[in-house]
Amino acid sequence: MDYARFVRLRRPVWEAFEAQLADIRDVRGRLRRAGYGTLEDMALRYRQVLHDHALAGARFPGTAAARRLQSLALEGTRRLTGEGRQRPAGLRTFFNRTFPSAFQRQLGLLGIVVALFLLAAVWGLTMAALRPEIGFAFLGPEAIRGLEEGQLWTSSLVTTVPPALSSSGIATNNLTVALTAWSGGVLAGLVPLYVVLLNGLMLGAILGVTLHYSMAGELLRFISAHGMLELTLILVSATAGLSLGRALVAAGDRPRAQAAREAGRDSLAVLLGCLPWFVVLALVEVFVSPSPEVPAGVKLILGLALEGAFLALALRPSQQESSEPAI
Amino acid sequence: MAEIRRESILGLDNIRLDLPVAGLGSRSLAAFLDYLGLGVVGFAWIVVSVVLGTQVARGWTPVFVVAGLFLLDWGYFAVQEILGGGRTLGKRLLKLRVVTAEGGTPGAGPLLIRNLVRSLDLFCGPLLMALDPLSRRLGDRLAGTLVVHEREREAAPLLGRVPPGWGARELAVVEAFLARARTLGDPAVAREMAERILLRIRRDAPELLAGLDPGADPVAAVRQALQAEEG
Repeated sequence: MDYARFVRLRRPVWEAFEAQLADIRDVRGRLRRAGYGTLEDMALRYRQVLHDHALAGARFPGTAAARRLQSLALEGTRRLTGEGRQRPAGLRTFFNRTFPSAFQRQLGLLGIVVALFLLAAVWGLTMAALRPEIGFAFLGPEAIRGLEEGQLWTSSLVTTVPPALSSSGIATNNLTVALTAWSGGVLAGLVPLYVVLLNGLMLGAILGVTLHYSMAGELLRFISAHGMLELTLILVSATAGLSLGRALVAAGDRPRAQAAREAGRDSLAVLLGCLPWFVVLALVEVFVSPSPEVPAGVKLILGLALEGAFLALALRPSQQESSEPAI
Repeated sequence: MAEIRRESILGLDNIRLDLPVAGLGSRSLAAFLDYLGLGVVGFAWIVVSVVLGTQVARGWTPVFVVAGLFLLDWGYFAVQEILGGGRTLGKRLLKLRVVTAEGGTPGAGPLLIRNLVRSLDLFCGPLLMALDPLSRRLGDRLAGTLVVHEREREAAPLLGRVPPGWGARELAVVEAFLARARTLGDPAVAREMAERILLRIRRDAPELLAGLDPGADPVAAVRQALQAEEG
């Protein structure tokens, strides 16, 4: 087929496809809802354009028709394929299906993370019991002076800083820790491991120091409302990051990029499922935990209830998740 | 002019598609513009927070600032890419777009993933992009995405008649000439090139020139002889 004949015969198809692409574009340039007939028609024309592009590339390289078909084939591929054309799942679907099933797939790794955390905590506790001066390193001299006077450093949360500012500061700080632990997973899982071990070590050491000053009860009363879930969320976020690192290091028989992509989808779902809880926890940490008016029993019940609510959501029997990505 | 690097992928029916991959230079420039935009939006947010904290909710300025800057820090790029079909402000200005490794539109998940590891990519991203033929940073590898150049749709004239024996090279030259003839700085050069093309037509297919006014503008004569229509 000569060039002129090729252009004359095929051009109407290209122009019709261009017109259809323009027709279904909304103000943001994305696909508008099109009927089945239109989509079927477009799919057929897209295929014809691809074949014309292949023919023009081989027979008439560098011509205007070949260049036009190349840009049309690329635009058609971008607009008609990929995940962007799918509507993202709603919050309900996410918390009913996506998050629980992703969380449950990581339970084995979470077990290892919890064990590492406990080991680090025991190590910190032992070190603090043997050498209480280690508290200076973790808490600073001012907090130690307060402990000597029988006062926890946490009391300054309500006396020196407005509660709204404390809660936003705590929420953003915890969220940053969780996001860093997750994203650092791509460095072969080293950052989440560091976060887990450091948090375990600090908790153990601080508990040991407060035991030394006979203030451990006060500390446990302070953290009883928010501490359990806060640690759980940080460990779960770190587990999600660690799963990314594991996929990169031990990809098995798949290419590393593919293994990381698959792990990334699950671990992102777990991370996103954790993030809203940090905001709730920051409010509890500022308004409930340091308040002397709230009895210790109520704080403990609140802490258990929050932990229970999170675990119930995460461990609920998830309905069969579709193979389509939900986020 | 430097050629844009193209990487081949296999599309539907195993047809080869050449993606115009954006390199380190254009991506770094887009990122610079984006961070500039982030700085402006961040400053504007601080001003808005001060106004809100003094006029509407007294004493809440630090809260607005802390929460707003945190959201901007982690969400500025991701939200723009999700709402803008893979484009941020910098990418729009440089005509770049994020696509999947298959050339399709990425979903919200991959766009979120590639932006959550952005802080790490500030350190190792440039080196990875320089070494990778597809210029992927860490976030791209994790999310399975690429950044490509967006090009305007080809609007060069398509020839309706072709002298026998002309190959793709001749066709491409004539089409390119007709597309750019009006914008050539010196009309005499355009006329001279048109005359040379007319000579070739006269030699290879004189019948195509039948009925044309010999005194007409040579560029118009070439267009008429080959029935070149705007693409």
